[in-house]
Amino acid sequence: MNIGTRKILDRSFTAVGIGSIVVMALALMIVVVPIVYNGIGAVFFTGTVEHRKMLHAEFKRGDSQELSSEVASSNRYRAKIYDMLTGFEAELETMTPEKKAEYQAKYSQVRTALQALLGPLPGDPEPMLTRFKYGQTRWDKAEEKLHDLLFESKWDNSNPNVMSKEYFVSRAIGFEGTSLVRLFPYVKDNFENMLLPEFTFYWGFITDSSVDSHFFGGIWPEIQGTFFLAIGAMLFAFPLGVIAAVYFTEYAKPGFLNSMLRSANSTLAGVPSIVFGMFGLAFFINTMKVSESKSVIAGALTLAIMILPTIIRAAEEAILAVPKTYREASLSLGSTKWNTIATVILPAALPGILTGGVISLGRAAGETAPIIFTAAVSVGSAIGLADVFSSPTPALSWNIYNLASEHEAATQLRHVQYGMVLALVTIVLLLNLSAIVLRARISKKLKC
Amino acid sequence: MINKLLQLVFLLAFSVTGTADAAVKTIVLDGSTTVGPVAKSFATYFTKKYGIRVTVSESGSGNGAKSLINGSCTIAAMSRAMKDAEIAAARKKGVNPVAHVIALDGLAMVVHPANPVRSLSKAQISSIYHGTITNWKDVGGANARIVVIQRESNSGTQDSFKELVTGKSMQITGGAETQSSNGAVKTRVSTTPSAIGFLGLGFVDSSVKLIAVNGVLPSVKTVKNGSYSVSRPLYLYTNGQPSGPVKQFIDLPNTVEGKAIISELGFVNR
Repeated sequence: MNIGTRKILDRSFTAVGIGSIVVMALALMIVVVPIVYNGIGAVFFTGTVEHRKMLHAEFKRGDSQELSSEVASSNRYRAKIYDMLTGFEAELETMTPEKKAEYQAKYSQVRTALQALLGPLPGDPEPMLTRFKYGQTRWDKAEEKLHDLLFESKWDNSNPNVMSKEYFVSRAIGFEGTSLVRLFPYVKDNFENMLLPEFTFYWGFITDSSVDSHFFGGIWPEIQGTFFLAIGAMLFAFPLGVIAAVYFTEYAKPGFLNSMLRSANSTLAGVPSIVFGMFGLAFFINTMKVSESKSVIAGALTLAIMILPTIIRAAEEAILAVPKTYREASLSLGSTKWNTIATVILPAALPGILTGGVISLGRAAGETAPIIFTAAVSVGSAIGLADVFSSPTPALSWNIYNLASEHEAATQLRHVQYGMVLALVTIVLLLNLSAIVLRARISKKLKC
Repeated sequence: MINKLLQLVFLLAFSVTGTADAAVKTIVLDGSTTVGPVAKSFATYFTKKYGIRVTVSESGSGNGAKSLINGSCTIAAMSRAMKDAEIAAARKKGVNPVAHVIALDGLAMVVHPANPVRSLSKAQISSIYHGTITNWKDVGGANARIVVIQRESNSGTQDSFKELVTGKSMQITGGAETQSSNGAVKTRVSTTPSAIGFLGLGFVDSSVKLIAVNGVLPSVKTVKNGSYSVSRPLYLYTNGQPSGPVKQFIDLPNTVEGKAIISELGFVNR
């Protein structure tokens, strides 16, 4: 090959390499940027006076004097709306029955839209569910609801051969000639005065429990459950994994049994996690009865079995990477085999073993399938350490799925879903970072 | 080192005593995703009022029954009655399932709001799910292929749908798409203009359009007075007659507060 072709090949390889890195970075950006942007929106957002009312009533947080003056000022503007409603209701009574029925239907839609915006109207019964006790707590959602109030969505099906098209009609037109027609421009003009938007840093999203299945409040029980499960799994899997790795590398004699065990271990590392979930349900809960129902302990044991193969492999590699000379030096000084393992080989292999461990910890924190049947619930309060043997727990991975697909108001709670995703990604990232730091510190210690 | 070990022992001992305490204080609910919203709101209310922890899992009616049979839940939430086979399996394990109806629920047929079709007969719905009608223009709609959405085999809503609309023995077309919860069906239908699916009435919102079945639109009123025929009771199952806190929980639908929760969620009080 002449030098020219070689140069061209060389350059094209570099180009392909850089190209693939760029594609990878872009793909990562496409995934990570929305998560971070929307996830941060769960904590930093423009909150309305309704949000501050909710915080004060549910969590006893906020300055009650300031709040009551805010509520008073917003109520001044709201009072006019309520007057208009009463006025229109009186007007309804004077109409002919047909006209009344026609307006009644439209009017009840207006009331529903106003309730969504401002919370219960005067005369409404006190709602049982917290989600109906307050108006819109977030300004971005409030703007959407304002649109719902001002415009009615209709579907144009003039062409029977295709699906209908959506278009919007101003609700004000529907009330032309009645007193209610003034309501719509009034709400639009005084919208800010009624909701008092203010930049909000809601740290409680991390530390609060959820209120009324995640409509308000935070995700602390989920975060705590994730930690309990991941750390519990580690408590079981790490010692077992290291002991198994020591056996494989130091004691096991090469032979049929040994190679079978090794290939079984490798196979287990590739088994889909849902299989471990089913196994956990059948073995730990139904057969062993480690707990009466789903519980943290059953989930942690299931996760432990799932991450065990990875820990064994990582520990094995780390032990095998310890230079032979260490072992020979120790043995030549008259040390026993066990003593050599405990005082020379394991400390030298520790950085590698720990890295494997922490990476598995991250995996245990993020897995959904193994805990569906063994530990996770969609509603439950934060549990104490004493309850891990008997109580199931919410956990980030499962609750993200539950909230995004099964929840009755999944589309309204996108900010909570993104907040949970960001929390989970951050936890896993922090765990992996701590693995890197730990590894660096230990290897530094070993060198001096 | 010994100190640490002692600490661990203390911690474990503390945990064990904690367990004995917690056993009485926790109610574990498992089962239907349709009953989910009611169960979750009841749980929140109950915990607030009585200080007794209630955990709710939404894994499907079939799973709820299995959990009750295996003794791994206190209450099974189901959107269908227990099948004979399940009752037999329960008896074999010494479990005596007792049904409590908590609310009624209309099984609403839903389409995308862009779909001009307003009404279907039960026979038309059966043909759509059987696969003999595959285009909306055959039932008075636009010229578009029907995307049929059903629930998983574990679902009580699926069983109720077959029982109430298509008949138990009918084979649902292989082209039907399976979604695993009411929420997932709603999301799929609200994003697919040519889709049809079925939901518990409590899950319906403005993102999907209700279809009148045999000329009657599902609503709280029509379900309650029986004119909307595709409706079913929602159950909570316990092992034997409940007592203590479990009984208090089961009795919630008979209280004013419980009734208010049910109707605010869009379900139908008995």
